[in-house]
Amino acid sequence: MRYYEILYIVNPNFERKKLDETMKEIDNRLTETKSKIINHIIWGKKKLAYPMQGHKYGTYILVHYQGGNKDKLNEFDSWLKLSDLVIRHMIVRIEKEPDVLEKVDNEASIKEKEDLKSDKDKSSDDVKDKISKEKNDEETEGVE
Amino acid sequence: MAFQTRRKYCFFKENNIIEIDYKDVKLLKRFINDNGKIMPRRVTGTSAKMHRKVVSAIKRARTIGLMPFIDNGSE
Repeated sequence: MRYYEILYIVNPNFERKKLDETMKEIDNRLTETKSKIINHIIWGKKKLAYPMQGHKYGTYILVHYQGGNKDKLNEFDSWLKLSDLVIRHMIVRIEKEPDVLEKVDNEASIKEKEDLKSDKDKSSDDVKDKISKEKNDEETEGVE
Repeated sequence: MAFQTRRKYCFFKENNIIEIDYKDVKLLKRFINDNGKIMPRRVTGTSAKMHRKVVSAIKRARTIGLMPFIDNGSE
């Protein structure tokens, strides 16, 4: 059996409810193809490298699954392409069995990603660490 | 001082990286220039085998919007 990975982008303005609904819909469609879903997690809200369908930001969602019926999977692929729920998606075959990722509380992960993003654009990791250290220093000084 | 050429070496061999994930944008950013173009092997010093993997990873990242096709600074 082959393992696949889907990364798809959803409208960033979707509320939690709507997000869960779209994820459920995709879950259902995948299980119809007799695929085994290994992971289905929200990767985070990110800035797109270029605007897509008028969106500058997007919520990335990651799925890992074990392939089922080939013809039905092809149908699923074209359904994703035509669907209004998803801005863009990409299915990639992976060689090794993917690890089971922990399901972090979705809202928390989105917030984390947003915080990271502002730093990410500006500088590399080293600089980021320095900045955070400096901030910590300042805070501790203030307390003293 | 005469021209001293820095010896180039494959980044992935130095760090023992075998597989490249297209989602690892931080890593892939090393291999594009300011305009978002993929840098040639003669500049980066990557081995042929790994360069092929880098190229396909960057192209995947581009289609899903993680990396730019062209980055001309206009936002």
